[in-house]
Amino acid sequence: MSEALGRVVATERKPNTPHEFHFWTAIDSPVGIGTIVRVDGAQPIDGQIPHIYGIVVEGFSYTDLQSPLHDVLGHDGLPTTAGYAPSERTEIRLYTAAVLRQIPEEPLQPVPMGQVFLADEADVQIALRMDSYLREGANTGIPVGVYRAGGTDAVIYLDADFLLGPEAAHLNITGVSGLATKTSAVEWLLSSLFTHFPEDKGSIAAVAFNVKGPDLCYLDQPGSVEESDQVLYEKLRVEPRPFQHVEYFAPYTAKGLSLNTFRNNEALLDKVTPLTWGLREVLQFAEVLLNKDDVDAKADALIDFIKENILDKEFRDPVLTKTHKVQSFADLDAWFRDVLQGMEKRDGESWRTHHVATIRKVRNRLSNISTRCAGLVTDTGDVSDLPFGSFADRTVYVVDVANLEEDAQDLIFARIVSKLREHLERRDLGVKHLVVFVDELNKYAPGDGADTYVRKMLLDIAERGRYLGLVLFSAQQFRSQVHRRVVGNSGTALFGRMDADELSTPGYAVLSPATRTKLATLEKGQLMIRHPHFTQPIFVRFPRPSVMQGREGAERYPQSSEIPLDAAVLRTLRQLDPTITLPWVQEITALYNDEEIIRARNATLLARPADVKAYFIAQFRKIIPTHTPARPMAASIKSAPENDPYGF
Amino acid sequence: MPILSSGADAASRVAYRLLTERLAGVSAVNDSVDVETSAIVDQPQLRAAQIVEGTALRAKKVPNVSRGMASGFAAFLDGSQKVRIIAQREGIPLVFGITTAAVRSRANRRLTTWGHQKPAVQHRFYLPLRLLPPLSEIVGAQVDENAPWPVIDTSAPESKDDQVNPHPTALIERAVRAVDRDREALEDKLAEAWCTRAEGPIFIDGGISRSDKVATSACAIGVVESHRTLYVEGNALRTVLNLAKGERSSVFRVSPRLRNSVLSWYLRLRDTTGHDALWGLVRIEMSECENPGDRADEISRWVLAETSPLALPDGRWDKMSYGIREAEEFLRAIS
Repeated sequence: MSEALGRVVATERKPNTPHEFHFWTAIDSPVGIGTIVRVDGAQPIDGQIPHIYGIVVEGFSYTDLQSPLHDVLGHDGLPTTAGYAPSERTEIRLYTAAVLRQIPEEPLQPVPMGQVFLADEADVQIALRMDSYLREGANTGIPVGVYRAGGTDAVIYLDADFLLGPEAAHLNITGVSGLATKTSAVEWLLSSLFTHFPEDKGSIAAVAFNVKGPDLCYLDQPGSVEESDQVLYEKLRVEPRPFQHVEYFAPYTAKGLSLNTFRNNEALLDKVTPLTWGLREVLQFAEVLLNKDDVDAKADALIDFIKENILDKEFRDPVLTKTHKVQSFADLDAWFRDVLQGMEKRDGESWRTHHVATIRKVRNRLSNISTRCAGLVTDTGDVSDLPFGSFADRTVYVVDVANLEEDAQDLIFARIVSKLREHLERRDLGVKHLVVFVDELNKYAPGDGADTYVRKMLLDIAERGRYLGLVLFSAQQFRSQVHRRVVGNSGTALFGRMDADELSTPGYAVLSPATRTKLATLEKGQLMIRHPHFTQPIFVRFPRPSVMQGREGAERYPQSSEIPLDAAVLRTLRQLDPTITLPWVQEITALYNDEEIIRARNATLLARPADVKAYFIAQFRKIIPTHTPARPMAASIKSAPENDPYGF
Repeated sequence: MPILSSGADAASRVAYRLLTERLAGVSAVNDSVDVETSAIVDQPQLRAAQIVEGTALRAKKVPNVSRGMASGFAAFLDGSQKVRIIAQREGIPLVFGITTAAVRSRANRRLTTWGHQKPAVQHRFYLPLRLLPPLSEIVGAQVDENAPWPVIDTSAPESKDDQVNPHPTALIERAVRAVDRDREALEDKLAEAWCTRAEGPIFIDGGISRSDKVATSACAIGVVESHRTLYVEGNALRTVLNLAKGERSSVFRVSPRLRNSVLSWYLRLRDTTGHDALWGLVRIEMSECENPGDRADEISRWVLAETSPLALPDGRWDKMSYGIREAEEFLRAIS
């Protein structure tokens, strides 16, 4: 048994309560803010010696000095002479601890006087009620980090039932930008989750939206693991290696030649799948891109009409010059043109109750979508999407939207989350549990501002996702500025180093000043955790993720600049058939325009045929090669004899 | 003799309960009252002393005094006492006393309790047994110093012709003197233990002449802060009262009638500007030695060094060293 490091004290002015107690320690004791301690009571309660577990939330230090002026007088106003005093003043280290747990739990009484011990690993498990979910045969613990204090290294586990549901769910991370805490924490936690998520609870995957920078772009690449992190990995029983199964999705650039991602270096392209959607996919989420000013009731009615009656159907109408089958933005534009021309001919102001102004407005807005979301939305209707229905266990699907316009980001987020939700409702996504990671909640789910479609979707996940197995891991810099229902529904909250302004907001008033100070000075790799089983926040260390960091990845695999079309086609097709060469591509594509070439490339990539060359060639329309007509041989002109005026 | 009402502490309550169990007719004194023992003092007096450093008592500047001078004291010894009137019986005050003493040794500038001798704490009843019903009816049934809370008979004659004065104030004064004696005995016991081990010079609050062993030990240094008796007369008195900060008097010999002879000198610790003549004045006692002047200089430097940190908020901070204040606080905590 370890030696006592402190004694509980209570005075009338500063009494102990069932939720808080005070104790003093030696000056050199290893106790600090966040240290977990155990109090052994002296008097048995119902025949049982009470044990009280607490976490230090405040510390005080003072001497017997009654006034600072006395110290000034004592040293003649010269601080340098203070060191000559032969005796140090009597000094106290007095700590306040918040009660984590009392055993026995009933009757709940004020903390009694007693000796204070540093909690060991077993104590930590009891104090944080982890013993209830780390039982042999029913272990749902997911290691989140190591609690360290005074030589005690204790693994802190989150309860999978409370992290991924159904009991509670969702996780929210707050921390200042630039310290890589938020992204690193999620990467680490996903590693731990994939390693320790109980087999009997089914499969699990993650969809991560990379909304800024290259941080999530190298999850499959090994990163450097320092010795100290190696120790943590061993303690946490997670193998320090990159994710084994990662798939990337990114739209094309506006020109459509290369993928619009930080990960478009040729060496890494094999795991990147283009993300392209057509008219059908976009129209389902038109309201994401069209704000309320754009889409009034009349416009909404027309869009509904198009979705119901035009899209993917053969449509005839007396006003039209031909039968239309609209499958792409190009088809839709042709249909609009035909309708408007027909109305002009008939000098009509409305068609099927839709006013010509409404039709023009909707045409304008929808046509703009393909321009605003160029690279993602294709005129042709080609669809390259996430593998909905065949999601694989322990796989991370990264959707890189970092370089996209805000509209395109919103559209991608809304559609992918909706599809995930649909599939999870039908239980045919491919996995039973899915983690969706979204950073920058300040932007996507702000507490104030417009009620956007994306915010509504995040609220929906936060409030109902856990019943479906759809779990939101979210992050932001300012928790106080995120919608309260999103963060409020997060069963688990992680806090990295915090900004002082943020800590001064009312949401952090429940934390002691010392805890807030510690939060403002946390190092990289340290987190404060709130979890339903923990009655007080706990500080832990987690290892640096064993994946390549964004900055290092960007240096090692520089992003490719825009390249010529033939080179872009070569780069894409070589992933499918390494024997393809640039001269071959140039020869095949020489007669076609850019649009045709891109369409052929996209179709080939989507189909992934066995014979890539043949499939690629088959995508082009037949063109009879033009031949330069041979110059006819000119007949020799006979010169007329001077004496033969008729030329015979 | 001020009597302060300060509410009964736990020990007083227990003491009162013990008394009422064994002695009929005891009535409580509301909340118990502390007796201010410092008020019971001797009359101020001047007494001549033999000069051993030179022929006349002079003021001497302590050499090599600087801010960074070190102190050679390895420990501090102090005692304390609490005297409480916890009850009365037919007007006779029944006194309960707690006496304590401790050595606080210094290591790395921090003071801790000396490991070789536990702090002493004594709880005792101080009762004028001759004025009370027979002993058998009272606490502990007999006068037994080994009993947990023994009874001290304050009505026993202190001298050959001593008669017990039944005046309540006189009875309280007798009790206080008995408590004083007990506290001094505790202090002497600890001082002797320290001198036996001779771990280094010890700063003793008060004189060192009571115990033969302490009075003759080179490691015991007594520092007296009260000056009811000044060991100077005539011009010497003027010299002592006019000592400047950092000055000491010549060394003289103090030879109390019933105590041991020791060497002593006065030392001014603080500037007297704006204060009375005894401000910052202490009298230091040490055992006989070969070069008393040099030794007095050395010890004076130590005592001057001990003026930092200040012993504030104690009212005697001008004379008190911080080590003694710390020891007093310690004793207050354990008693």
